[in-house]
Amino acid sequence: MYGSASTHDLPTSAATGLENEDPILLAEFEARIGRGEKIEPGDWMPALYRKQLTRMIEQHAHSEIIGSLPEGTWITRAPGFRRKMAQMAKVQDEVGHAQLLYSAAETLGKTREQMLIDLINGKSKYSNVFNYPTPTWADSNVISWLIDAGAIVNQLANAKGSYGPYCRALDRICAEEAFHLKYGHDAVVHMATGTPIQRKMMQEALNRWWPAIMTFFGPSDKMSVHTEILMRWKVKMASNDECRNQFLDMYVPKIWEIGLTLPDANLRKNEETGVWEFTEPDWEDFKRVINGDGPCNAERIAVRRAAEENGAWVRRALLTPKTQYVRPLA
Amino acid sequence: MINSHDPRMNRLGLPDAPEAPAAKGALDQFGTYEVFHQKKEGAPFVYVGPVHAPEADVAFLFAKEQYSRRFACTGMWVVPTAAITVTAYVGDQESAYDTLPLLPKSSAPAAGLADDTAAAEAAYAAGEEDYDIFHLKKRGKAHQHVGKVRASSPADALQVAKGVFGELRPVANVWAVRAADFLRSEDEDRDIWTTTPEKKYRDAISYKVQDRIEKFKAENPQSH
Repeated sequence: MYGSASTHDLPTSAATGLENEDPILLAEFEARIGRGEKIEPGDWMPALYRKQLTRMIEQHAHSEIIGSLPEGTWITRAPGFRRKMAQMAKVQDEVGHAQLLYSAAETLGKTREQMLIDLINGKSKYSNVFNYPTPTWADSNVISWLIDAGAIVNQLANAKGSYGPYCRALDRICAEEAFHLKYGHDAVVHMATGTPIQRKMMQEALNRWWPAIMTFFGPSDKMSVHTEILMRWKVKMASNDECRNQFLDMYVPKIWEIGLTLPDANLRKNEETGVWEFTEPDWEDFKRVINGDGPCNAERIAVRRAAEENGAWVRRALLTPKTQYVRPLA
Repeated sequence: MINSHDPRMNRLGLPDAPEAPAAKGALDQFGTYEVFHQKKEGAPFVYVGPVHAPEADVAFLFAKEQYSRRFACTGMWVVPTAAITVTAYVGDQESAYDTLPLLPKSSAPAAGLADDTAAAEAAYAAGEEDYDIFHLKKRGKAHQHVGKVRASSPADALQVAKGVFGELRPVANVWAVRAADFLRSEDEDRDIWTTTPEKKYRDAISYKVQDRIEKFKAENPQSH
C-alpha cells in the first residue's frame, strides 16, 4: 500500500540544479529514457533524479511498514481463524514490500540505517492516511480494500517508470496486491450485505475513512518546473488528480452497488467530461496531520521505534564485524 | 503515555515525547546478499533481489521468506553482493561484452566451459575455478544464469564468457561470480519449497464476491 506522500513535498525553490549537470551526459540520459530504456544503478543520473527517486521510494517503503500497523492491530481480533490467517498474510506482505523498497532505495546511495533513523526521528514522511486509527474491524476492512485499491492505481503507474530497481520491486508488489484487493473487497461485502448491525458498522467506518481516502493521492499538482521535468524523466507517471479520478471511477460504483453511501453530497461523475466532481478535501487539516498533529502520528512512530530498539541486541549479537557493506546491485 | 486502540501497544508503556533516537551504527542492518531463484525444475536461475543478513545461512533463510513465500520455486541461491563482478551497463540493443578490454590474441584465455575432462582437471589443479555467468537481456528485467566457465580470476571469467556466450545478443549487463561463493539449496531438501501452494486464503482467486453482490442486489433493488 502506498500514498502519494512523495508528491506533495517537491522542492519548493525553482532551482533544479540542472545547470550544474554535464550537458552531454544529461542528453544521453534523457535520450535513454526517451527510447523507453530503464535506468540502472551504475548509470550516470542527474542529482535531482537521484534525490527525488530516493525520497519517493523511501517514503513508499515507510508507508508499507507503517501501513502494516493499523491492520496488524486486528490480526488477533479478526473474526474467525481463516480471517486471522489472511490478515496476518496481508500484513506480512506489506512488511515484505517495505524490505524490497528499502533495497531499491539503497541502490541510489542512501543506507538502510539512515532511512530507518529518518523514519523514527520524523524527518521522512509516509502516507498520511496511516495517521488515522482503526477503531473497529470494519475500519481495517476499509483499509484492506480501498487504501490498497488507491495504492494499486499509484503502483501500476509507477511500475512503468524509468528506474530499473523500483520497477522490479513494484512488479512483485503488484502481484501480491491483487490478493489484498480481493480480500478487502470480500471483507467489506461480507459486512455490507450482512446483518443490520454489520451494515451500520461498515457504513460508519466508511464515513470515518472517506475524507482521508480523498486526500490519499495528494493535492492537485501545480505544474511546476519540477513536475514537468520529473514527468519527462518518468519519475512521476501521472498527476495526483488523474490518479484520484481513476480511483473514483473504478471504486465509487462498487461502493454504491452494495448499498453503502459516501459522505459527500457533491460526489458525482460529470458524464460530459468523464471527470468526478467532489467537495474539495480539507487540505489545511491534511497539512496539520502530515506535519505531526494527527490522531496516531505519535503512536505509529513510537511503535516502530520500540520495534527497532527492542531488536537492537539481536542485531548486535548477530553482527559479523568484518563484513564490508556493499550497496545492493540491482 | 501513548494511548492506543490496541491493548498490546498500551502494555509497551511508550512515552508521548521520547528523546531523539540514537544514530544507528554501521552494519546495524548487516551486509547484503543477492538472491536467485529457479521457478521450476530445469529452468535457469533468475535474479530476484537482495536481502540484508549477517551471514550466508541467515541470508538463505531471509531469502526463502522474502522471495519464495509467495512465488513458488524449486531452488534458491544466495551470494554476498561483494562477490559479484559487474560489467558496464550498455543499451538494450548492444552487448556489454563489447566494453571488456580487448586482449592480444596470444593472451586470450582458452575457452573454458566447465567440465570434467582431463584438461579441466589439470586447469583446476593449476588454480582455475568455476564461475557462474548471468546475463541481463534488457534493462529493467532480471539477470539470468546462462552457464558456467572455468577461469583464473573474475576478469578472466568475463573474457572466457565472452568467447562462450558472446554471440547471445543483446546483453545489457553481465555478472560473473565464483561458483564456490554461492550457498545453494540442495536437491534432497526440495521439500522446503512445497508449502507455498497450500495457503489458499492468501490467493486472490479464493475470494469470490460477485455471487453475493448479485444476490444482494436482487434482494435489495432500491438500495443501490
